[in-house]
Amino acid sequence: MVFLTLPCWIRSRGPDRYWKVQELLKHARHFRGRKNRCYSLAVRAVRRAFVYATRGRTLKKRNMRKLWITRIAAASREHGMTYPALIHNLIKSSVQLNRKVISQLAITEPRTFLSLTKLARARQQEGLQAALGDGKEPPGVFSRIVVKQ
Amino acid sequence: MSNFSRTAQQWASFARSWFLIDARMQPPGKIASMCSVRLQGKHKPIYHAISDLGDHVVVINSRHIAFSGNKWEQKVYSSHTGYPGGFKQVTAAQLHQKDPKAIVKLAVYGMLPKNLHRRTMMQRLHIFPDDELPEDILANLTEELQQPREIPRKLNEYTQEEKDAFPRVWTPPEDYLLK
Repeated sequence: MVFLTLPCWIRSRGPDRYWKVQELLKHARHFRGRKNRCYSLAVRAVRRAFVYATRGRTLKKRNMRKLWITRIAAASREHGMTYPALIHNLIKSSVQLNRKVISQLAITEPRTFLSLTKLARARQQEGLQAALGDGKEPPGVFSRIVVKQ
Repeated sequence: MSNFSRTAQQWASFARSWFLIDARMQPPGKIASMCSVRLQGKHKPIYHAISDLGDHVVVINSRHIAFSGNKWEQKVYSSHTGYPGGFKQVTAAQLHQKDPKAIVKLAVYGMLPKNLHRRTMMQRLHIFPDDELPEDILANLTEELQQPREIPRKLNEYTQEEKDAFPRVWTPPEDYLLK
Protein backbone atom coordinates (compact mmCIF):
# COMPACT_ATOMS: atom_id res chain seq x y z
CA MET A 1 0.00 0.00 0.00
CA VAL A 2 1.25 3.50 -0.86
CA PHE A 3 -1.25 5.54 1.21
CA LEU A 4 -0.68 4.27 4.73
CA THR A 5 -2.65 6.87 6.87
CA LEU A 6 -6.24 8.12 6.43
CA PRO A 7 -5.36 11.82 5.66
CA CYS A 8 -3.41 10.66 2.61
CA TRP A 9 -6.50 8.88 1.14
CA ILE A 10 -8.55 12.18 0.97
CA ARG A 11 -8.35 13.67 -2.56
CA SER A 12 -10.60 16.74 -2.07
CA ARG A 13 -8.68 20.09 -2.18
CA GLY A 14 -10.89 21.75 0.43
CA PRO A 15 -14.63 22.38 0.59
CA ASP A 16 -14.76 26.18 0.95
CA ARG A 17 -12.91 27.70 -2.02
CA TYR A 18 -16.17 29.29 -3.27
CA TRP A 19 -16.63 31.30 -0.10
CA LYS A 20 -13.01 32.39 0.05
CA VAL A 21 -13.23 33.68 -3.53
CA GLN A 22 -16.53 35.45 -2.83
CA GLU A 23 -15.01 37.15 0.21
CA LEU A 24 -12.51 38.82 -2.08
CA LEU A 25 -14.81 39.47 -5.02
CA LYS A 26 -17.34 41.28 -2.82
CA HIS A 27 -14.75 44.10 -2.49
CA ALA A 28 -14.40 44.25 -6.30
CA ARG A 29 -18.04 44.25 -7.39
CA HIS A 30 -18.09 47.98 -8.23
CA PHE A 31 -14.94 47.84 -10.40
CA ARG A 32 -14.86 48.24 -14.16
CA GLY A 33 -14.13 45.46 -16.62
CA ARG A 34 -13.12 41.87 -15.83
CA LYS A 35 -11.59 42.92 -12.52
CA ASN A 36 -15.05 42.65 -10.95
CA ARG A 37 -15.54 38.99 -12.00
CA CYS A 38 -12.25 37.18 -12.49
CA TYR A 39 -10.37 36.20 -9.35
CA SER A 40 -6.78 36.63 -10.56
CA LEU A 41 -7.43 40.12 -11.89
CA ALA A 42 -9.56 41.03 -8.89
CA VAL A 43 -6.85 40.05 -6.40
CA ARG A 44 -4.46 42.63 -7.83
CA ALA A 45 -7.12 45.33 -8.14
CA VAL A 46 -8.44 44.82 -4.63
CA ARG A 47 -4.97 44.94 -3.12
CA ARG A 48 -4.33 48.30 -4.90
CA ALA A 49 -7.70 49.58 -3.76
CA PHE A 50 -6.87 48.75 -0.14
CA VAL A 51 -3.48 50.44 -0.44
CA TYR A 52 -5.09 53.60 -1.81
CA ALA A 53 -7.70 53.49 0.94
CA THR A 54 -5.05 53.29 3.66
CA ARG A 55 -3.10 56.15 2.12
CA GLY A 56 -6.32 58.16 1.79
CA ARG A 57 -7.15 57.73 5.47
CA THR A 58 -3.91 59.47 6.51
CA LEU A 59 -4.29 62.15 3.82
CA LYS A 60 -7.89 62.86 4.86
CA LYS A 61 -6.80 63.96 8.31
CA ARG A 62 -4.21 66.33 6.83
CA ASN A 63 -6.58 67.75 4.20
CA MET A 64 -9.41 68.32 6.66
CA ARG A 65 -7.11 70.23 9.01
CA LYS A 66 -5.86 72.36 6.12
CA LEU A 67 -9.44 73.15 5.14
CA TRP A 68 -10.37 74.10 8.70
CA ILE A 69 -7.35 76.40 8.91
CA THR A 70 -8.23 78.09 5.59
CA ARG A 71 -11.80 78.65 6.75
CA ILE A 72 -10.75 80.04 10.14
CA ALA A 73 -8.25 82.35 8.41
CA ALA A 74 -10.96 83.65 6.05
CA ALA A 75 -13.42 84.24 8.89
CA SER A 76 -10.87 85.94 11.12
CA ARG A 77 -9.77 88.23 8.30
CA GLU A 78 -13.39 89.31 7.97
CA HIS A 79 -13.03 90.58 11.53
CA GLY A 80 -9.67 92.24 11.01
CA MET A 81 -7.40 89.59 12.57
CA THR A 82 -4.99 87.05 11.12
CA TYR A 83 -5.19 83.30 11.73
CA PRO A 84 -1.86 82.96 13.62
CA ALA A 85 -2.73 85.89 15.89
CA LEU A 86 -6.16 84.42 16.63
CA ILE A 87 -4.92 80.91 17.42
CA HIS A 88 -1.94 82.07 19.48
CA ASN A 89 -4.05 84.39 21.60
CA LEU A 90 -6.79 81.81 22.07
CA ILE A 91 -4.16 79.33 23.29
CA LYS A 92 -2.73 81.98 25.62
CA SER A 93 -6.23 82.56 26.99
CA SER A 94 -6.47 78.75 27.53
CA VAL A 95 -9.39 78.36 25.12
CA GLN A 96 -8.83 74.75 24.08
CA LEU A 97 -11.16 74.64 21.07
CA ASN A 98 -9.73 72.69 18.15
CA ARG A 99 -9.70 73.94 14.58
CA LYS A 100 -12.63 71.73 13.57
CA VAL A 101 -14.94 73.31 16.14
CA ILE A 102 -13.74 76.87 15.50
CA SER A 103 -14.31 76.49 11.74
CA GLN A 104 -17.81 75.15 12.34
CA LEU A 105 -18.55 78.03 14.70
CA ALA A 106 -17.29 80.46 12.06
CA ILE A 107 -19.83 79.08 9.58
CA THR A 108 -22.90 78.40 11.70
CA GLU A 109 -22.41 80.63 14.78
CA PRO A 110 -20.99 83.94 13.50
CA ARG A 111 -21.60 85.89 16.70
CA THR A 112 -19.82 83.29 18.81
CA PHE A 113 -16.88 83.51 16.44
CA LEU A 114 -16.92 87.30 16.70
CA SER A 115 -16.76 87.03 20.47
CA LEU A 116 -13.78 84.67 20.14
CA THR A 117 -11.99 87.21 17.93
CA LYS A 118 -12.70 89.94 20.48
CA LEU A 119 -11.30 87.77 23.25
CA ALA A 120 -8.17 87.06 21.22
CA ARG A 121 -7.80 90.75 20.36
CA ALA A 122 -8.09 91.72 24.03
CA ARG A 123 -5.46 89.14 24.99
CA GLN A 124 -3.21 90.32 22.16
CA GLN A 125 -3.39 93.92 23.33
CA GLU A 126 -3.15 93.09 27.03
CA GLY A 127 0.48 94.16 27.25
CA LEU A 128 -0.12 97.38 25.35
CA GLN A 129 -3.22 98.25 27.39
CA ALA A 130 -1.37 97.54 30.62
CA ALA A 131 1.42 99.91 29.53
CA LEU A 132 -0.70 102.64 27.98
CA GLY A 133 -4.23 102.19 29.24
CA ASP A 134 -5.83 103.21 32.51
CA GLY A 135 -5.70 99.84 34.27
CA LYS A 136 -9.35 99.03 33.56
CA GLU A 137 -10.53 95.72 32.11
CA PRO A 138 -11.46 95.86 28.40
CA PRO A 139 -15.27 96.06 28.20
CA GLY A 140 -17.16 92.96 27.23
CA VAL A 141 -14.32 90.50 27.77
CA PHE A 142 -14.59 87.88 30.52
CA SER A 143 -11.21 87.60 32.22
CA ARG A 144 -9.74 85.78 35.23
CA ILE A 145 -9.84 88.95 37.37
CA VAL A 146 -13.59 89.18 36.78
CA VAL A 147 -13.92 85.47 37.67
CA LYS A 148 -12.00 85.89 40.93
CA GLN A 149 -14.31 88.67 41.97
CA MET B 1 -32.41 86.57 7.77
CA SER B 2 -34.39 84.24 10.04
CA ASN B 3 -37.47 84.33 7.81
CA PHE B 4 -35.58 83.18 4.66
CA SER B 5 -36.45 79.72 3.46
CA ARG B 6 -33.61 77.20 3.37
CA THR B 7 -33.19 77.46 -0.41
CA ALA B 8 -33.22 81.24 -0.27
CA GLN B 9 -30.60 81.26 2.52
CA GLN B 10 -28.34 78.91 0.57
CA TRP B 11 -28.76 80.97 -2.60
CA ALA B 12 -27.81 84.09 -0.66
CA SER B 13 -24.75 82.58 1.00
CA PHE B 14 -23.37 81.14 -2.27
CA ALA B 15 -24.12 84.23 -4.33
CA ARG B 16 -21.29 85.74 -6.38
CA SER B 17 -20.36 89.34 -5.51
CA TRP B 18 -18.53 91.87 -7.67
CA PHE B 19 -15.58 93.68 -6.08
CA LEU B 20 -13.97 96.89 -7.34
CA ILE B 21 -10.26 97.71 -6.80
CA ASP B 22 -8.66 100.99 -7.83
CA ALA B 23 -5.06 100.29 -8.84
CA ARG B 24 -3.93 103.92 -9.12
CA MET B 25 -0.42 104.30 -7.58
CA GLN B 26 -0.58 100.76 -6.15
CA PRO B 27 2.01 97.97 -6.43
CA PRO B 28 0.60 95.43 -8.93
CA GLY B 29 1.68 92.46 -6.79
CA LYS B 30 -0.41 93.55 -3.82
CA ILE B 31 -3.38 94.22 -6.10
CA ALA B 32 -2.92 90.78 -7.64
CA SER B 33 -2.79 88.99 -4.29
CA MET B 34 -6.04 90.67 -3.18
CA CYS B 35 -7.62 89.70 -6.51
CA SER B 36 -6.47 86.09 -6.32
CA VAL B 37 -7.83 85.66 -2.76
CA ARG B 38 -11.26 86.83 -3.85
CA LEU B 39 -11.26 84.96 -7.16
CA GLN B 40 -10.62 81.69 -5.34
CA GLY B 41 -13.19 82.43 -2.65
CA LYS B 42 -10.65 82.19 0.17
CA HIS B 43 -12.18 85.23 1.84
CA LYS B 44 -15.31 83.21 2.69
CA PRO B 45 -15.57 80.91 5.74
CA ILE B 46 -17.50 78.39 3.59
CA TYR B 47 -14.53 77.96 1.25
CA HIS B 48 -13.95 74.66 -0.52
CA ALA B 49 -11.88 74.10 -3.67
CA ILE B 50 -14.70 72.22 -5.45
CA SER B 51 -17.47 74.64 -4.52
CA ASP B 52 -16.72 77.28 -7.18
CA LEU B 53 -17.54 80.17 -4.89
CA GLY B 54 -15.10 82.71 -6.29
CA ASP B 55 -16.30 86.25 -6.88
CA HIS B 56 -15.83 88.69 -9.74
CA VAL B 57 -13.13 91.32 -9.35
CA VAL B 58 -12.95 94.52 -11.42
CA VAL B 59 -9.59 96.36 -11.46
CA ILE B 60 -9.62 99.94 -12.74
CA ASN B 61 -6.78 102.35 -13.54
CA SER B 62 -4.38 99.53 -14.34
CA ARG B 63 -2.49 101.96 -16.55
CA HIS B 64 -1.46 103.88 -13.40
CA ILE B 65 0.06 101.07 -11.34
CA ALA B 66 3.32 101.82 -9.56
CA PHE B 67 6.17 99.34 -9.26
CA SER B 68 8.57 99.98 -6.39
CA GLY B 69 12.31 100.18 -6.92
CA ASN B 70 13.73 99.92 -10.44
CA LYS B 71 11.34 97.17 -11.55
CA TRP B 72 10.05 99.13 -14.53
CA GLU B 73 13.49 98.69 -16.11
CA GLN B 74 14.73 95.55 -14.38
CA LYS B 75 11.70 93.21 -14.29
CA VAL B 76 11.67 91.02 -17.38
CA TYR B 77 8.66 89.21 -18.81
CA SER B 78 9.76 86.25 -20.95
CA SER B 79 7.85 84.19 -23.47
CA HIS B 80 8.57 81.81 -26.33
CA THR B 81 6.60 81.70 -29.54
CA GLY B 82 7.37 77.99 -30.06
CA TYR B 83 9.43 78.61 -33.19
CA PRO B 84 13.25 78.39 -33.09
CA GLY B 85 14.80 81.70 -32.14
CA GLY B 86 11.46 82.85 -30.78
CA PHE B 87 12.51 83.55 -27.20
CA LYS B 88 11.28 87.06 -26.39
CA GLN B 89 12.18 89.09 -23.32
CA VAL B 90 10.43 92.36 -22.63
CA THR B 91 10.94 94.75 -19.74
CA ALA B 92 7.96 95.73 -17.60
CA ALA B 93 7.98 99.25 -19.06
CA GLN B 94 7.81 97.98 -22.66
CA LEU B 95 5.07 95.48 -21.84
CA HIS B 96 3.05 98.17 -20.05
CA GLN B 97 3.45 100.44 -23.07
CA LYS B 98 2.18 97.74 -25.41
CA ASP B 99 -0.68 96.53 -23.21
CA PRO B 100 -1.56 98.34 -19.94
CA LYS B 101 -3.64 95.39 -18.68
CA ALA B 102 -0.97 92.71 -19.10
CA ILE B 103 1.08 93.25 -15.94
CA VAL B 104 -1.86 92.88 -13.56
CA LYS B 105 -3.23 89.98 -15.61
CA LEU B 106 0.06 88.06 -15.55
CA ALA B 107 0.51 88.76 -11.84
CA VAL B 108 -2.94 87.39 -10.97
CA TYR B 109 -2.45 84.41 -13.32
CA GLY B 110 0.73 83.49 -11.48
CA MET B 111 -0.89 83.76 -8.05
CA LEU B 112 -3.87 81.53 -8.75
CA PRO B 113 -3.58 77.77 -8.07
CA LYS B 114 -2.16 75.94 -11.06
CA ASN B 115 -5.16 73.77 -11.88
CA LEU B 116 -8.04 73.71 -14.35
CA HIS B 117 -10.05 76.21 -12.28
CA ARG B 118 -7.49 78.90 -13.03
CA ARG B 119 -8.87 79.75 -16.47
CA THR B 120 -12.40 80.06 -15.11
CA MET B 121 -11.16 82.36 -12.35
CA MET B 122 -9.30 84.50 -14.88
CA GLN B 123 -12.53 84.87 -16.84
CA ARG B 124 -14.06 86.37 -13.69
CA LEU B 125 -11.29 88.99 -13.47
CA HIS B 126 -12.03 92.22 -15.36
CA ILE B 127 -9.20 94.71 -15.83
CA PHE B 128 -9.68 98.20 -17.24
CA PRO B 129 -6.76 100.51 -17.99
CA ASP B 130 -8.69 103.67 -17.11
CA ASP B 131 -11.62 104.86 -15.04
CA GLU B 132 -14.33 104.08 -17.61
CA LEU B 133 -16.44 100.99 -16.99
CA PRO B 134 -19.15 99.58 -19.22
CA GLU B 135 -22.66 100.03 -17.85
CA ASP B 136 -23.42 96.37 -17.23
CA ILE B 137 -20.31 95.89 -15.08
CA LEU B 138 -20.96 99.18 -13.27
CA ALA B 139 -24.46 97.94 -12.46
CA ASN B 140 -23.14 94.69 -10.97
CA LEU B 141 -20.57 96.11 -8.54
CA THR B 142 -21.31 95.43 -4.88
CA GLU B 143 -18.26 96.44 -2.87
CA GLU B 144 -15.13 98.55 -3.25
CA LEU B 145 -11.99 97.26 -1.54
CA GLN B 146 -9.53 99.45 0.30
CA GLN B 147 -6.29 100.15 -1.53
CA PRO B 148 -3.33 98.20 -0.08
CA ARG B 149 -0.88 101.09 -0.19
CA GLU B 150 -1.48 104.54 1.23
CA ILE B 151 -0.58 107.01 -1.53
CA PRO B 152 2.03 109.47 -0.18
CA ARG B 153 1.29 113.12 -0.89
CA LYS B 154 3.56 115.15 -3.11
CA LEU B 155 5.29 118.21 -1.67
CA ASN B 156 3.06 120.59 -3.65
CA GLU B 157 -0.04 118.91 -2.11
CA TYR B 158 0.91 120.01 1.42
CA THR B 159 -0.43 123.38 2.55
CA GLN B 160 2.02 126.08 3.66
CA GLU B 161 0.70 125.81 7.24
CA GLU B 162 1.52 122.09 7.33
CA LYS B 163 4.97 122.75 5.92
CA ASP B 164 5.62 125.41 8.58
CA ALA B 165 4.22 123.23 11.37
CA PHE B 166 6.49 120.30 10.42
CA PRO B 167 9.18 119.87 13.13
CA ARG B 168 12.70 120.92 12.15
CA VAL B 169 15.78 119.09 13.40
CA TRP B 170 17.98 122.18 13.22
CA THR B 171 17.61 125.77 12.05
CA PRO B 172 20.34 126.94 9.65
CA PRO B 173 22.15 130.23 10.38
CA GLU B 174 21.32 133.28 8.21
CA ASP B 175 24.35 133.06 5.97
CA TYR B 176 23.93 129.34 5.27
CA LEU B 177 23.51 128.58 1.55
CA LEU B 178 20.33 126.52 0.98
CA LYS B 179 19.87 125.19 -2.52
